[in-house]
Amino acid sequence: MYTQSITRAHRTAFVLLIDGSGSMTEQIRFRGRLTTKADAVAAITNDLLFELVERARRDDGVRDYYDIAVLGYSGDDEVRALLPGGRKMMSVAELAACEMPVRTETIEHRMPDGSIALREILAPGWIEPHAAGSTPMYQALVEARELTSDWCARLEHAASFPPVVFNITDGEATDCEADDLRAAAERIRSLRTADGHVLLINIHIAADERNRTIFFPSDSEADYPNRYARLLYDCSSRMPEVFEPMIREAKGPGAMPPFRGMSFNASAAELVSMLNIGSISVKTE
Amino acid sequence: MIPTLPIFSRALLTPDLSFRTLVDAQAETASNGLPHLMRTTRFAEARIRWQGRRWLLSMPLTPSALPCIERTAAAIKRLNTPALTDYRILPGELCWKDHAGIEQHCDLVLQHLPEGKDFDQALLTEDRDTLLRALDTLEKELEGLQFAHNGLKAGNLRWCAGRIVVLRYHDARIGGDRRRDTEAFEALRRRLTEASGPQAANDISAHYNPIRTLDGHRWTSHLFEGLICVEDETGFGYVDADNRPVIESRYLWADDFHEGRAEVETPTGMGLIDREGTYIIPPEYEIVDYRPAESIVYVRRDGRWALFDYMGRQQTEFGTINECKS
Repeated sequence: MYTQSITRAHRTAFVLLIDGSGSMTEQIRFRGRLTTKADAVAAITNDLLFELVERARRDDGVRDYYDIAVLGYSGDDEVRALLPGGRKMMSVAELAACEMPVRTETIEHRMPDGSIALREILAPGWIEPHAAGSTPMYQALVEARELTSDWCARLEHAASFPPVVFNITDGEATDCEADDLRAAAERIRSLRTADGHVLLINIHIAADERNRTIFFPSDSEADYPNRYARLLYDCSSRMPEVFEPMIREAKGPGAMPPFRGMSFNASAAELVSMLNIGSISVKTE
Repeated sequence: MIPTLPIFSRALLTPDLSFRTLVDAQAETASNGLPHLMRTTRFAEARIRWQGRRWLLSMPLTPSALPCIERTAAAIKRLNTPALTDYRILPGELCWKDHAGIEQHCDLVLQHLPEGKDFDQALLTEDRDTLLRALDTLEKELEGLQFAHNGLKAGNLRWCAGRIVVLRYHDARIGGDRRRDTEAFEALRRRLTEASGPQAANDISAHYNPIRTLDGHRWTSHLFEGLICVEDETGFGYVDADNRPVIESRYLWADDFHEGRAEVETPTGMGLIDREGTYIIPPEYEIVDYRPAESIVYVRRDGRWALFDYMGRQQTEFGTINECKS
């Protein structure tokens, strides 16, 4: 299970759900800097898309290793496609063929005398920060389920590595109760290919007095003081055993499985680096 | 921890903040200003310009990528051949902060990208028979070195100064099975035979020449710290920029000087010398791998590794550190 290489013959899919609700105007500390949740969500999403596109770029061009969907949810219970042309899903090669918008990112660094300096650098900018209206997360999960269900049902995907759904949010769903959200998440996680169930990864962005970051938490780590922490933990997939050695290495000594597919104030792009994207043509080990 | 591609991209845009050695490197960028990246099976790659030369800079995509190439990188340092280019691991070169603000480091792989042109371009400009002869020469050279590249294709070949140089040794093995290379050479010859031939006759020859011409030597390296490593009938040694002998040519193999030290090999083993040719580490070890950026030396005896310092003083017992890696 979860061992299928991601190749052009066995593609997979990534579905990104982006919370763009009004609560995203709140300020948090992210990557060491004070910023809005909306900026943090945009940065994480753009990094994920960059990771996915560049992982597929070989010397003969971008290979169609996977399909990508990006859905934003905000406003008046609105879920909308954020990919170029308003398309719900496109192949990574199609996305790479579109002109990539570029934004300016400010990074902080320490000068030799100990003072802090700022520098602006270019960064990918497919997704703009957005913060307005309500948080129709339930509806976004329903649409994500439809997309992944249709994708899994196609014969050519039967043996593929299952789709991965990333939900990037501050956790405050306004269109359902907590149990409804758990049920919607369970319906996504129950979808499958022959290689395993769909993985639902929640990336939780929220203010935190201690500026902590958590990724791939075990049960005890999910009790950080935020009212949505446990709910998002419950909604997240348990990470398959095959990823446990890599997660333990990334988390450091003392990390004990099982781990959940979730992060708090951190990217989850590391997950992409754990997937076997691209065929290994030479066995050298 | 393996860095992500956005981290690599940011590092290429801020080399002074992110690299240990390549602090003044300039990455080749796409039209949108972001570094142009490409990936191989286990590495992401960027083209940079550093110290007036072009290089391929590779970042591992998986934890297993670097251990796979360590032996090859160490062995290539001892192969004096114009068919291969400088290929080295830069320990802890990439520095970044993880989510928790903790500084992380990752080794990168640096390979010299000689001036010249890609093989596909050469197909359009060079005489077919010339390229076929160059392929024959390359195959014989790699055979002689027992070098199995395991990924030979047009994209990994470069035409420079009338010869073909091979790039990207991430899957290469010294002494490995060469059947894949043999098949690849046949495929390249077929492709050449089917190609229509040169389209331009006025192409300008590249300036790259990995062999400096200093009279009276079999082979010469480049000038490093005022000394040039040379190979003579009696072995490897060093001359100054005016070709005057400085350290007698008596070694089976010798490396260039970095920070006043050079690795050498003798019939009794490998050692480390200073600029006078005095042994800092006596020539009695299987491998001596000097890391000038860290001023430390990894030394192997009976298959076990120990650390020595810049002055040749043993810092750890043999077998108390893992295989030669940062």
